Amino acid sequence: MLINFNFRVIWEYMPLFLEGLRNTFLISIVSLILALMVGILACAARLSRWKLLRAVSIVYIESIRSTPLLVQIYFFYFGLPTLGLRVPELETGIIALMLNSGAYIAEIVRAGITSVPNGQIEAGISSGLSYTQRMRFIVLPQALGVTVPPLLGQAIVLVKDSALLSLISVLELTRCGQELTSERFMPAEGFLTVAVLYLCIYYCLKPLAGWSQKKLIFREEY
Amino acid sequence: MIVFKNVHKWFGKLHVLNDINLHVRSGEVVVICGPSGSGKSTLIRCINRLEKFQQGELYVDGQALHDHSINLTKLRADIGFVFQQFHLYPHMTALQNVTLAPVNVRKIDKKEAVALGREKLARVGLADKAEAYPAQLSGGQQQRVAIARGLAMNPKIMLFDEPTSALDPEMIGEVLDVMVQLAGEGMTMCVVTHEMGFARQVAHRVIFMDAGQLVEKGAPDEFFDHPKTDRAAQFISKILTH
Ligand SMILES: Nc1ncnc2c1ncn2[C@@H]1O[C@H](COP(=O)(O)OP(=O)(O)O)[C@@H](O)[C@H]1O
Ligand SMILES: [Mg+2]
Repeated sequence: MLINFNFRVIWEYMPLFLEGLRNTFLISIVSLILALMVGILACAARLSRWKLLRAVSIVYIESIRSTPLLVQIYFFYFGLPTLGLRVPELETGIIALMLNSGAYIAEIVRAGITSVPNGQIEAGISSGLSYTQRMRFIVLPQALGVTVPPLLGQAIVLVKDSALLSLISVLELTRCGQELTSERFMPAEGFLTVAVLYLCIYYCLKPLAGWSQKKLIFREEY
Repeated sequence: MIVFKNVHKWFGKLHVLNDINLHVRSGEVVVICGPSGSGKSTLIRCINRLEKFQQGELYVDGQALHDHSINLTKLRADIGFVFQQFHLYPHMTALQNVTLAPVNVRKIDKKEAVALGREKLARVGLADKAEAYPAQLSGGQQQRVAIARGLAMNPKIMLFDEPTSALDPEMIGEVLDVMVQLAGEGMTMCVVTHEMGFARQVAHRVIFMDAGQLVEKGAPDEFFDHPKTDRAAQFISKILTH
């Protein structure tokens, strides 16, 4: 099979693949940073004292988590223009990824915060620390250790999810495979190259996960 | 210093504190005992407002806790609380545990706080453990750090909720020694404990609670040797046979 493989074409299309790789990387980074902000805000709202904020955040988180990402992408792709908002495909895609990942990140952060035992908080209250001080000195540092590994997992999911943007004709990695398929009818070559490049991204992120695990995970036992 | 007047508290339907009247004077050491679930923890948690109550009056260090406009931060800063399970911050060293509140609540200078923290750790016999994390300390050592953490705020009152119940027997002594010393220095203390030896040695008064009621109060020797109520007599015979 490998004998029939047309490496010349892969080589010929390499500049396109590298552009796709770069775009996938940029889309993922930008979406991840925005999703982190959305996720932290949504989590703060979810844990807030105000019922309305809590309700809004629950509706957001649940509706994102219960519907397919592709549906969400189409929803923004076709929905935003009908609202009179002309948003280019790339931005539409980033908005969809941001809101999607944001909902998952909100739950990851919440799990981290609620994993801190109540006694820790009571100890802080008893010594007169304010809510903000308790969060900053007691809760968040302990939550961080349990939050970072699943966050990196979510980052990897986000990279893979960005492939769906190919369906609204954003030129990212997967789209390159599709181009090779439609222009030269070489799906095997195209998608194998794409897969290998995704693997490269994965192996760039993985050591980061290991490193952060060592650095940040706080263990009770030494 | 602490005055309970007809205090009632309910958890839903459960009447956890039933008409509590109690006056703890400055410098007094009061031991609170009673069966599990009788409301001892709830009682002392009301004193620093970890729990609210629905009826009655409670004055702590001149502040009226039934009044909602009190300065909670100041109230809590002036009261040390020691938990059964220590609740040290596991991501901080012993010294950091002890200096966190002085720096952030009392707003004292970092350097000054470190000196203060080391002094308090030395006082509980742990000068050499300042840089250790809680997980590297034994239970008795952790509880002593927790006491130092309370003392670092220079509190007017120290509250202890079963401070030795989670400890292995061989470590109980080291924690009680610190508390005995503290009592000797005139600290106002409310201690929930079943350590009769400690009560006889330093308590000015023993209070016996059962089912949310303050059933009996008296001098320790009198209470343990000649309890007035059957409920107290039964309870004492139980802790004696243990
Ligand atoms: N947060 C709470 N919510 C509901 N019930 C509680 C709560 N805390 C304690 N209780 C109940 O109140 C009673 C008294 O509890 P507590 O003060 O902890 O007793 P003690 O310290 O004497 O063992 C128990 O029956 C307990 O189950
Ligand atoms: Mg208790």
